[in-house]
Amino acid sequence: MPDNLTSVEPVRKSITVPAAPERAFELFTAHIQEWWPLRTHSVGGEHAVGVVFGEGVGAPIIETMADGTTSVWGTVTDWEPPHRVAFTWHAGTPEDEATRVEVTFTQDRPGSTVVRLVHSGWDRRPDGASAREGYDSGWEPVIARFAEIGASAR
Amino acid sequence: METYEAVLDALGDRTRRQIVQRLRAGPSSVGELAAALPVSRPAVSQHLTVLRRSGLVSYSELGTRNLYRLDPAGLIELRAWLDSFWEAALDRYAQRIREDSADRGPQ
Repeated sequence: MPDNLTSVEPVRKSITVPAAPERAFELFTAHIQEWWPLRTHSVGGEHAVGVVFGEGVGAPIIETMADGTTSVWGTVTDWEPPHRVAFTWHAGTPEDEATRVEVTFTQDRPGSTVVRLVHSGWDRRPDGASAREGYDSGWEPVIARFAEIGASAR
Repeated sequence: METYEAVLDALGDRTRRQIVQRLRAGPSSVGELAAALPVSRPAVSQHLTVLRRSGLVSYSELGTRNLYRLDPAGLIELRAWLDSFWEAALDRYAQRIREDSADRGPQ
């Protein structure tokens, strides 16, 4: 079977927003709670009450639920305001099963910014247990994570 | 139930994910899958039924054997779901920025 039938290509999204890159970057990160669709895009679903996007390399992206429980979605790996931010993405599963998200902010004209998002790493080669069990890719845990998020969103 | 929801539900179980993973290497019979996994043959059959309903797996009869294989339809649904995950988030983001601009009025 051709590989493209069983692998997941990077998700690529692009959107133009009426703001300078500085503002676009700030809203994406520091003000994520003002726009992130928590009810449908979270580990806690309807129990999710907040999300914080940490500032700087090594900072976490953390969801908080109504009972005070937290869930780390990822960790900032690249912090280059106002042009680029990248982070690992492992909502709901161990950190070593993370995929990667990169977001760039490019001014196309004054007061207008093109925001490009690439979510990759779906077919990352596994290490440890998966490899020892003879699995041929790291696909399984990644899909598992999305299955969890998808299930909690309903 | 939407198709992508059936796919996500089907993959919400570890054994079913293992079955999908095995089938990535090529078509397999129930017996072969049961031998490779720590679950009984009837259990594998039940899991395959769920996977078939979700569109992730299809089967064909080869002589007396039923061979199960991955079906691209289910994976295409899943890919579409991943796409819509970020699309929905970025739409909300852009909407939030537009509110910002509206507050400040024409510049």
